[in-house]
Amino acid sequence: MFARFRSLLRALALRRDFESGMSEELSFHIEQYTEDLVRSGISRQEARRRARLEFGGMDAVKGDCREARGLLVFDELERMFHYAARQLWCNPGFTTTVILTLALAIGANTAIFSIVNALLLKSLPYAHPERMGTIYTRVTSSGGYDERHNLDGEQWELLRDNVPALISAISTRGTSGVNLQAGSQVQYLHAARISAHYLDVLALQPVLGRNFSEVEDRPQGPKTAILSYSLWRNAFGSNPDVLGESILLKGEPYMVIGVLPEAVTTPLNADLYTAIQASREGEGAGTNFEAITRLRDGATWQEADAQINRTWSLRSDRYELKDNPGAQVTYYCVPLQKAEAATLRPQVLTLMLAAGLILLIACANLAGLTLVRMMRRTPEVATRLALGASRWQIQKQFWIENLLLALVGGAVGIGVGFLALRSLLLLLPEHFLPVARVPLDGQVMAFTLAVSLLTSILFGMLPALATRQVDLRSSMSSRAVAGVGRQRLREALITGEIALTVVLLAASGLLIRTLIHLETLPPGFNPNGVMAAKASLDDARFHDPAALRKLLDESTAAMRQIPGVQDAAVGLSLPYERSAINGSLTIRKGTEAEQQVQTDEVFVTPGYFKALQIPVLLGRSFTEGDGPDAQHVAVVNQTFARKFFHDASPLGHYLDKNTLIVGVVENVAVPPGVDAGAPLTGEQAVYVPYAQMDAQLLSLVHVWFQPSWIVRTGGPVEGLTAQMQRALASVDPNLPFSGFYSMRDLLAKTLTMQRVEVALLGAMAALALLLSAVGIFALVANIVAQRTREIGIRMTLGATILKTMIDIASTGLSASALGLVLGLILCAGALRAMRSVLYGVGVYDAPTILVVILTLSAVTLLAITVPALRVARIDPAKTLREE
Amino acid sequence: MGKTADLLPGTLDMLILKAVSLKPLHGYGVLLRIRQISRDALEIPQGSLYPALYRLEHQGLIAAEWGQSDNNRRAKYYTLTAAGRRRLREETAGWNRLVSAIGAALNTTSEEV
Repeated sequence: MFARFRSLLRALALRRDFESGMSEELSFHIEQYTEDLVRSGISRQEARRRARLEFGGMDAVKGDCREARGLLVFDELERMFHYAARQLWCNPGFTTTVILTLALAIGANTAIFSIVNALLLKSLPYAHPERMGTIYTRVTSSGGYDERHNLDGEQWELLRDNVPALISAISTRGTSGVNLQAGSQVQYLHAARISAHYLDVLALQPVLGRNFSEVEDRPQGPKTAILSYSLWRNAFGSNPDVLGESILLKGEPYMVIGVLPEAVTTPLNADLYTAIQASREGEGAGTNFEAITRLRDGATWQEADAQINRTWSLRSDRYELKDNPGAQVTYYCVPLQKAEAATLRPQVLTLMLAAGLILLIACANLAGLTLVRMMRRTPEVATRLALGASRWQIQKQFWIENLLLALVGGAVGIGVGFLALRSLLLLLPEHFLPVARVPLDGQVMAFTLAVSLLTSILFGMLPALATRQVDLRSSMSSRAVAGVGRQRLREALITGEIALTVVLLAASGLLIRTLIHLETLPPGFNPNGVMAAKASLDDARFHDPAALRKLLDESTAAMRQIPGVQDAAVGLSLPYERSAINGSLTIRKGTEAEQQVQTDEVFVTPGYFKALQIPVLLGRSFTEGDGPDAQHVAVVNQTFARKFFHDASPLGHYLDKNTLIVGVVENVAVPPGVDAGAPLTGEQAVYVPYAQMDAQLLSLVHVWFQPSWIVRTGGPVEGLTAQMQRALASVDPNLPFSGFYSMRDLLAKTLTMQRVEVALLGAMAALALLLSAVGIFALVANIVAQRTREIGIRMTLGATILKTMIDIASTGLSASALGLVLGLILCAGALRAMRSVLYGVGVYDAPTILVVILTLSAVTLLAITVPALRVARIDPAKTLREE
Repeated sequence: MGKTADLLPGTLDMLILKAVSLKPLHGYGVLLRIRQISRDALEIPQGSLYPALYRLEHQGLIAAEWGQSDNNRRAKYYTLTAAGRRRLREETAGWNRLVSAIGAALNTTSEEV
């Protein structure tokens, strides 16, 4: 079997050699025979004639030889492809429509699939990615959950020391801003802290130097840093002597011990790495670490799971059980890739589903178009049948044409997909996808090829079935080609595609409504005319509370001096930004029992409410008098007051030991920190003055989060950002800002996911609408073309143009109306799946449905009217003459 | 020249394998060799020789290689492969069985029934 395949392949690949070899061999035979005949005494001329005669027809023999080698099938295929290409070339209108439709549908699928591929299918860019994992916790109880586990210091020590099946490492969750002073330059960088074997888990080796040692990772260990390749190139001019040198990071000297290779990424994507030096105190007292693991050679995931569960069941603080008494808590390893992509998985799969619907719609359209083409070719088919072609041969020819169309459409689709993907990636913010690249690789190409083949089958099947019923006698004798049954079939296809379009339109409509709702939520402050920038206070110079207070006071004062600036302040977090701290506080109300509550906490300077124009509803805001030695005070927002004090005023009550509530302010829109919910909420928040915060807590908080400086201006101020940087530098010349942004930028960033969803689903709904319009247009145009003669006769008999037009249009109208109804019924079921991503709008939203109906009706009417108008151009006399 | 017999269907392949098994041959040589070893009793239709050779090569029973002919011309020579040798053995055995069975049948007299 294999030998035959190889012989066929060789003959195909070396086709020219095969043919010339065969000719040479056969003519050698004839010459030899001629020579023998001459030798037996026959004249050369006669001998040559006899040799040829006895050999038989040269071409017939060659044909038999080719067939013996299995080449005939391919010759026939080639002939059929040529014929198909000629057929399609002669119908440029049909061919262009089909290829464009396919290109758009396949392109959309290619683009979305390449993201699915990069995110969910492709291996992580590390050695043996299948051996990499992280840990999930499953808590079974009423308030149970099943999610990625974040570790505290105790869990980390147990994991590191008592789970021999794994190489384990931890890191911070994401990066934080730090200040790097290289020469005279200070830079704001994104740094991450990692434990000793982090790079071993990723199987990365520094291109220069080495990884962190266990000594360097101990608490109070030596301060060392590993640079990313781009930082090494940009800030240190790729100087190899930087190894062993000391750099000034966070206001302290750190020794550079390594440089990462070019073009490698870590899950953290930081500019620079320092050792995390985790302990059970401070940061390690809470679950603030993220773990990654690599299975050691010879170990199994089952062993790892068992070891983790055993060692973690011996912890002193089993908070999962405290929160969920009686629950069963298990830990298990999850492939790292799955964990990294977990948050985006549902969105991406939804998009893939939408792209699949587009493909179905396109196929319905193409099936309709191909059907018409088949009907037009009935005479041709009948002629070929009459001339002796088998039905199978004719079917084969049609399938080859479909295949050719699908392949060309797929090829163009790859181009469309590439462009679509490029614009999609431009739409996404940096590091939005947890992968470095979204390539159009072999896997994507294979997918596109498979989709193309699938479409050719989908849209070729109905017409192919239809041609099986061509009746030779009736087709030859009659010129009428439209069977009533096939018209019905086309209408059914249109109905189906409109129904799917309705679903896509309604889904994108609901997402648009959600986005509008979120973007127009009352912000609770005045977002116009605010400029903000972050600076890193994770710096040895600001660990002293007095130094920090001086920096905050003097820098805001300097910014107030900028002409055009009305106010300036500093806050640990801003509206539209997730609150940095979600803490647990106790409320003391006179003699009542203490109440433990979860709330956002925001550290602010006195000008914060004024600068953002957050209305103070009760009591007062902060003043310069709320210093470290004065009565500790807090301001709560309205949700806090309503939720925990009901209708009573919270003023005069205490938080924790001795913090007096002195004011109530309006809620501002923030992403949820305490309870999961809408992307923007007005959840409970407590504001406290920066000046009254505990110094140790502040140093820890500033390791994780960078506060924002904000200024409010009356109008545009020229060179505002440069002046803000100068104002900060006037207080501390070595403190860089991260980059400046307006509140609008911040809102856009917070709603990125929603914007991307709207853009993608909206684009797909528009595509579906376009395809449906083309489908209806083609249906009606075709009816007009087919019934020209009948229309001519009817008009001669006195039918008016309008009546004829309405009559023609009614087919398209009824199909569309049916599709609309069917689509709305589908929506009732399908849209319920969207409930979790809709905010401020119900699943059954009357305005959305109304707009969908109106849009679809308008487009349908347009698509029907344009071809129906051709009726007016029919000249009855001319059509009848043509008979 | 004696009387020639028509080939039975399916026997051409067997004869080609036999011819090639004796010595590597080019196509024309196969024709001559079959004539020779059948003592001029079998005449191969020339037109069907080459498709048969190509088929046998395709099946991996014979292998082809370009070489020099006796009169120094380039010619394609066929040799028997291991698979071909096996096939020839089977076909020969099968043929002998068939011949003796048919011979026995045809020689049966009425007394033996």
